[in-house]
Amino acid sequence: MPDNIFEIKDLSFSYGNNRVIDGLNLKIKEGKITTLIGANGCGKSTLFNLMTKNLKPDDGIIFLAGQNVEQMKLKDFARKAAIVHQYNTAPSDITVEKLVEFGRTPYHTMGLSPNPDEDREKVKFALEITDTEKFKNKPVSQLSGGQKQRVWIAMALAQDTKILFLGEPTTYLDIRYQLQILRLVKRLNSEFNITVIMVLHDINQSLYYSDEIVAMQNGKVLSQGEPKEIITSKLIEDVYGVTLETGEIDGKPFVIPV
Amino acid sequence: MISTRKKILSFVLTAVGLFVLFIFAVNTGSLKVTPSELFSGLFIEYNPDVATIYDLRFPRIFIAMLGGAATAVSGVLLQAVMKNPLADPGIIGVSSGASLVAVIVTAFFPSLFFLTPMLAFIGGLIAFLLVYSLSWKGGFSPLRIILVGVAVNALCTGLMSAFNSATGSSYTGVASIVNANITQKTWDDFQTLAVYVVIGLIASFFVTNQCNLLSLEDKTAPSLGMNVTRSRIVISVIAVLLASISTAVVGAISFLGLIVPHIARLLVGSNHKVLVPYSILLGAFTLLLADTIGRTVASPYEISAAVVMSVIGGPFFIFLLRRSKQNYA
Repeated sequence: MPDNIFEIKDLSFSYGNNRVIDGLNLKIKEGKITTLIGANGCGKSTLFNLMTKNLKPDDGIIFLAGQNVEQMKLKDFARKAAIVHQYNTAPSDITVEKLVEFGRTPYHTMGLSPNPDEDREKVKFALEITDTEKFKNKPVSQLSGGQKQRVWIAMALAQDTKILFLGEPTTYLDIRYQLQILRLVKRLNSEFNITVIMVLHDINQSLYYSDEIVAMQNGKVLSQGEPKEIITSKLIEDVYGVTLETGEIDGKPFVIPV
Repeated sequence: MISTRKKILSFVLTAVGLFVLFIFAVNTGSLKVTPSELFSGLFIEYNPDVATIYDLRFPRIFIAMLGGAATAVSGVLLQAVMKNPLADPGIIGVSSGASLVAVIVTAFFPSLFFLTPMLAFIGGLIAFLLVYSLSWKGGFSPLRIILVGVAVNALCTGLMSAFNSATGSSYTGVASIVNANITQKTWDDFQTLAVYVVIGLIASFFVTNQCNLLSLEDKTAPSLGMNVTRSRIVISVIAVLLASISTAVVGAISFLGLIVPHIARLLVGSNHKVLVPYSILLGAFTLLLADTIGRTVASPYEISAAVVMSVIGGPFFIFLLRRSKQNYA
């Protein structure tokens, strides 16, 4: 049994009077791909923002390997977990390589690097693994959506963390680039043992690429487990409020989303 | 994409331009000396013409250069903090907040004269806080910053003119701040300016990295371990310091903090590690040019550098506003 990398206890968060996360408990396993799913407004993005220190909980604690996330310094957190947000912007003239170098920031003090060789090595690795090295001298603004997304992932990988958060990494991309990103995520997990925690909208991609699914409803975890163990028509109806048929292809569960 | 060669070329050409302009500015006026006379008069033997130039023209030239550099870098920093290419210490009221305090001190508390730069700094900070808090609504709308800035600016400028008129425009000190007149400046003024400006400029070198990271999304910068709020405060304070000190000595110069960073970005790109040092050079060049034009155009009368900057900067600002719809929306 792998250890739990994240442990969340009695977590609550409200926007004004709107209680978005309501006494949530959750454990996330190390070395796995865990995907948060749920209907719009179920609180999965809020949970994502709480786990990544973008929001502060009203109540409850989030532990990252035993440490209270709220009390961790941003810099320490950034050395343990990298985050690719859904929406990103960069100056129009910055090159891919320069942007990926930003990923080394958590290791710098006052803008200076204690170990430039290691920086170069990690940046090179990140460019290679995301297949972005061939346009490293191009401005990010001139790349396609799929290429840009790979560059943002490369920046996160340059942070050299064991945990990678991805917020809806495939939104706005066509199917070819969606698969490219998801296969990259799978490879990062299986070859480099990076724990991946992501939010996905596509239910079938979630089922296919995840080791664990966390289904959320009304700010709570409704169900958690391996895809084929938890996916039933009943769960889909509870989570999304629609009746869909489920099936299996080659031992992998599928939902027919029409 | 701007090649490294082109960036270096921009630096070299601007530095040469600044040197040539400096020599020209030294020689503009009723006294004229050759460069060799100037050199020997300064360093080797006494020459009465050179001595006069040294006492009268040198301070204003150096003050123009320092003031220009400070205002330009202040613009770069404010634009990074507010993510708004139209932010400028003049337009958003920081300069007029600083000059208002400088005017009040000069007119009513002349004994505190030595504190003017620090008090002007506080005035600039108050104006900045007003604009910042009034235009923040879960984010900065570029338009709101400009609108609130215009209001704060108008208020401070109005109060300043009122003080100037109420004292019968009799205090030359007050009038010189209001009109941004640097004719009468001395080496003492230069020293005051130099100390603070050098501190501010050195500090600005330490935040270039943070300025670069601020250009990412506000969620992305913290995920790289940066405390965005703290960085914004530190960078803003440096920007306000530079603009306020410059205003306290030189007077409010509009548009300089807008035009110089904009041209600088076109020439050397948006990486602040290059942009800040280049803006120092180009800012010094631009304000010295404005001052020198003001001295020559209607000679023997002088038009203040601020007026020259407004005449050139006004149309340029409109040009930027029209362009910005395509680039920054």
